[in-house]
Amino acid sequence: MSGQQFALTAFVVTWLTASLRLAGPVLLAALGETFAEQSGVLNIGIEGTILLGALTSFLVTLYTGMIWVSLLAAVVVGIAANLLLAWMYVTVRASQVVAGLVFNVLALGVASAVYRKALGDSAVPESIAMFQPLHIPFFGKLPVIGPVLFGQTILFYLTIALAFASNFVLFRTNFGLALRASGENPAAADSAGISVSRMRYAGTLISGAAAGMAGGYLVLAQVGLFRESIVSGQGFIALGIVIFGRWHPLKATVAAMVFGACDALQLSLQIFGTHVPPQLLLALPYIVTILAISGLFGGKAVQPAALMTPYVKD
Amino acid sequence: MLVTSILFLAYGASPLQAYFALFHEPFATLRGFGYSLVRTSPLALIALGTIVSWRSGFAYLGFEGCFIIGASATAWLALLTAPGTRLGPIPFSLFLPLAILFGFAAGGVWAGLVGLMRARLGGNEVLISLMSNYIAVFILQYLVSGPMRAPGSLPETRLLPRGTWLPFILPGTRAHAGILIAIAAAILVWMLLQKMPLGYELIVTGFNAAAARYAGIDVGRRILLAAFFAGGLGGLAGMAEVLGSQHRLMDGISGGVGFVGIVVALLARLNPIAVIPTALLYGGMSVGADAMQRRADIPSSITFILQSLTVLLVLAFDALRYYKINLHVFPGRTPPPAAQEVSK
Repeated sequence: MSGQQFALTAFVVTWLTASLRLAGPVLLAALGETFAEQSGVLNIGIEGTILLGALTSFLVTLYTGMIWVSLLAAVVVGIAANLLLAWMYVTVRASQVVAGLVFNVLALGVASAVYRKALGDSAVPESIAMFQPLHIPFFGKLPVIGPVLFGQTILFYLTIALAFASNFVLFRTNFGLALRASGENPAAADSAGISVSRMRYAGTLISGAAAGMAGGYLVLAQVGLFRESIVSGQGFIALGIVIFGRWHPLKATVAAMVFGACDALQLSLQIFGTHVPPQLLLALPYIVTILAISGLFGGKAVQPAALMTPYVKD
Repeated sequence: MLVTSILFLAYGASPLQAYFALFHEPFATLRGFGYSLVRTSPLALIALGTIVSWRSGFAYLGFEGCFIIGASATAWLALLTAPGTRLGPIPFSLFLPLAILFGFAAGGVWAGLVGLMRARLGGNEVLISLMSNYIAVFILQYLVSGPMRAPGSLPETRLLPRGTWLPFILPGTRAHAGILIAIAAAILVWMLLQKMPLGYELIVTGFNAAAARYAGIDVGRRILLAAFFAGGLGGLAGMAEVLGSQHRLMDGISGGVGFVGIVVALLARLNPIAVIPTALLYGGMSVGADAMQRRADIPSSITFILQSLTVLLVLAFDALRYYKINLHVFPGRTPPPAAQEVSK
């Protein structure tokens, strides 16, 4: 193998490995959001929920050192926070955009206040125990595919499994049917005996659990510490992935990989040193999202018909 | 209020003292009041932009981006006309209208692009505008670390020439003429929405797009126009900040003002006149929060919690009562009924 070939292989392996690694948390958040949107709720509050989940898992790991417990705690906090959101969306019937957006500000305030209360103004952020990449015998030794597909953390495989599970639940169970009916035609769902409110609460809480876990994923498998800027729009990217993935868990998985690839390309190119301004590469995932949801590639037709429309029972 | 009092207690400060700090500095001292006015101008302008776009049915959330683009464009213009450059110093009476026009156009085009995607392609403006904020941040970072960077360790431009600064209006304070621009804009937006046919068409478009189309209104074009106006006001906010307060362009200049401005508009119930006092209250609170952090050692992020909880409570209160109570923001100057219906 010549030197140049070797460098190229190394580049591709680094790039693809990072693509899948970066795709994980946003995919998890997007899977949850798919449930919310299929039930008719556009949950913009996942951005703030991810932040709260990240803070929770960071603090719990810092004090107990148990990473699985902290992941669970992040899920619980995600659900609790989204109980408030679900109440705003479904019971109060407030504008979903406004409630979600304001919730994100609230979450930022809470997270930064709690973080300071817990750790003081210490300048050096403490790092914590993290999930390590698995070493799978035999498969892990395969060239290229080995490190890319079989060298991820356990959370990645869990997320992929959840994608398939979501697909099954949404399209093969009565619950999934009732959920989608509430988002497509709530009046019809109501007359068929489905409680639209309960379904929308369920959708929002599922997205909260997933977003909280995504925050934990971010901290426990990627960053290892907490900063207020840790989420920086990943929740919004997850929203883009849901649209790009046509409100379908498996398509969302592919979409998340594409996003991860963009994000990772920027990292890889920065490491290899290019003359492209880094900001252009950093902006790439956002530009791709905008193009994906701009309507250039359709998308209105498959959107849940009652998305963002509060349901008033007659 | 009660919830926040408990929060203050958690930090070991007496709530009364904390509230005193929160409101005394910004409203009872001249210096503090000047700072409050400085914070008020961009908030009010962004809130006005929110009103124009949201009442036209265009749920634009990209004011953070408009602010940055407007600020960058103005700073570029100001540096271009600095003494010693090719365009040389130009008189302020000529520079100001030029800067207003330029900042407005820059923000307007930025938001107009999102409007175009919504009007022509049917894209979701909520998400597109949120994403566009991040792109604007990267553009700004590129500008201040690349082509517009001043020599020095910080990523920022040179200080803008003194001749391009907005005049200070209260002696002994930092209050600048940006607040006058904001007040003028509030009156213009009010006139546009209440007194002019175009404003009526915008509101009809926002209220019921199908009916508007049936009545012969070109909905796509109205949305584009609303996006342009809204973005322009966001750009003006950036202009006021850069010419009035910062006097240079730097990374992180927006600091979330694009979102707080939206919240201000909501609290003012999308009423352009009520925006000014609401923005003053919010601007004052952010000044007070900094004072509180210094004196009572309470993190200023508490105000985020206070402000967002207020909005959530107002929303819940509003929606649960469902049209039964009309809260008149200004008892003497109630907006016509049409305005209140739309604001629901």
